Amino acid sequence: MAAIARLRVPLVASARSFSSQTCPHVRLAPPLQARFPRTFPASSVARTFRTSIAFQEKKYTREHEWIELSEDGKTGTIGVSVYAAKNLGDVVFVELPTLDMEVAAGDSIGAVESVKSASDIMTPVSGKIVGANDVLQEKPGTINKGPESEGWIAKIEVKDPEEFKELMDEDAYGKFVAE
Amino acid sequence: MRAWRALVKASKYQIYVSQSLDPFLNLSIEHFLLQKTPPHSTVLFLYVNRPCVVIGRNQNPWLETNLSLLQQNHVSLVRRRSGGGTVFHDEGNVNYSVICPTVDFARDKHAKMVTRAIRESNLRARVNERHDIFLDQGSMLEEKDWPDPTDMHQTRFHRENGNSPPLKISGSAYKITRQRALHHGTCLLASANLRKISDYLKSPARPFIKARGVESVRSPIGNVLHEPKVSSMSYNNEFQSQVINAFTQLYGISERANPIALDEKPHRELLHNSADEWAAGWVGPELERITGIQAGIEELKSSKWLYGQTPQFILSSHPVEEDERERPPLPEGFPASARVYLKVRSGTITAVQISISPNQDIAKAEAERFDEVLKGKDIQDISDFKAVLDRAGHESPSDVSRIATWLNFMLGKASNKKH
Repeated sequence: MAAIARLRVPLVASARSFSSQTCPHVRLAPPLQARFPRTFPASSVARTFRTSIAFQEKKYTREHEWIELSEDGKTGTIGVSVYAAKNLGDVVFVELPTLDMEVAAGDSIGAVESVKSASDIMTPVSGKIVGANDVLQEKPGTINKGPESEGWIAKIEVKDPEEFKELMDEDAYGKFVAE
Repeated sequence: MRAWRALVKASKYQIYVSQSLDPFLNLSIEHFLLQKTPPHSTVLFLYVNRPCVVIGRNQNPWLETNLSLLQQNHVSLVRRRSGGGTVFHDEGNVNYSVICPTVDFARDKHAKMVTRAIRESNLRARVNERHDIFLDQGSMLEEKDWPDPTDMHQTRFHRENGNSPPLKISGSAYKITRQRALHHGTCLLASANLRKISDYLKSPARPFIKARGVESVRSPIGNVLHEPKVSSMSYNNEFQSQVINAFTQLYGISERANPIALDEKPHRELLHNSADEWAAGWVGPELERITGIQAGIEELKSSKWLYGQTPQFILSSHPVEEDERERPPLPEGFPASARVYLKVRSGTITAVQISISPNQDIAKAEAERFDEVLKGKDIQDISDFKAVLDRAGHESPSDVSRIATWLNFMLGKASNKKH
């Protein structure tokens, strides 16, 4: 269970200084791909398209949440990473956020319970909660099945797209969890 | 108090023992420490509560406890902020709590630490795979089969004794925030209430409620001390001191950081070393005056938290699509054709299907009338279902009364007496 220790990492360095270390051009090493198969677009075409629109790229926090922007760039979908879901263990309950709640980046927007632990879920960016994944109420285990797909947690109307720049891209996050 | 607040904000290691038996205060001190101690600090907090039943963050009090029985016996109901199942506390049970940086968090670490302390009095203690502490019940193994004494997962005893399985003495739960992780647990040392606990934790509505959220895992329980010869409070302090020693050893802190070991007179000033390395001391009811702690107490005591935090559930007198289980017989006199179905969300009744008549059309009209009087009501605000159901103006008050009595019984309304 020592692995859970990495689940949430204190923000020692500021997010800005961290993002300056990330390099979007670095290619992913194969072991990482094997580890996070779901996080990658199905085809390289999609990949090219997505990286060309910077804001639509999926981004990650050091607390292991992810956020992905909608095509119009207005709404973000939030969830926990594959890595986090694995470390949480079987999720038995999800407290979803209330709609229309205004939140700032880093605020708790809900919690998941697994193995007798209540763990906070933080929003990566500021905005207004405009959606919650009701499937999780009936089937909380969906988070374990597809943490970065059908197990998404909330949708947020993004207030300041600039905040995305402070988050890690897939490459940087992959390195971060491999540390 | 100002001195305490300063130490809370500065010290790397902190050890506090509560003199209060108030579960709301103790849990709020704990939460305050979770929020206010430095991100890299590690904190041990020990407390004993007066009799209370503590449910997990995402549990259902109507399903997990017998609310009427708790009320009759003056046992408080408390919902904690951590996950996990329902436990019972009383003066024969010591609670421990360790708060550490989330990066250092491991579920077994402090369960093992506490087991080390328990083994000072009982060598049968071990940590199981759910991070709970159990006492093995069997005879002693041959010496060649004894495990390494530092192995906290195995003892030198057979686990079972015939039909007697290992007994649970301690349960754990966790709360994990961005920077801080809290692990707290119970330890039954010498509870005089072991026999009553299973009744407290047995809801009459269990066969009729289907709930989202977390269900408790039930285990046979025991006390660390078979026959306590000392008064339970002095043993509590002795045990607390052993836990503190296990903590100071684990983290390499000075042995002086133990307020109990030094406690010859009822003294109670705070101990600390000058370098902010550690602080230790007794705390008590005076902390209620701290704003953050006061707010915590108010939140824990509020209906919104205690009942409103309950995940959605349905209560149904008969099998329904959402809950097809066979039901036990309903009480004598419960109208044969009556059907009762409530859906409850955040403690508020959101859907009602109550009817008495076997005739479908009449039943439908009845259901509409009962819906009108019940829907939108918080269960907690209803002291007697009869008073509420009577407002529907049904032609057969005696039938309505039987249904109300059943609902009162199911949902732990104290007015569950003759009408």
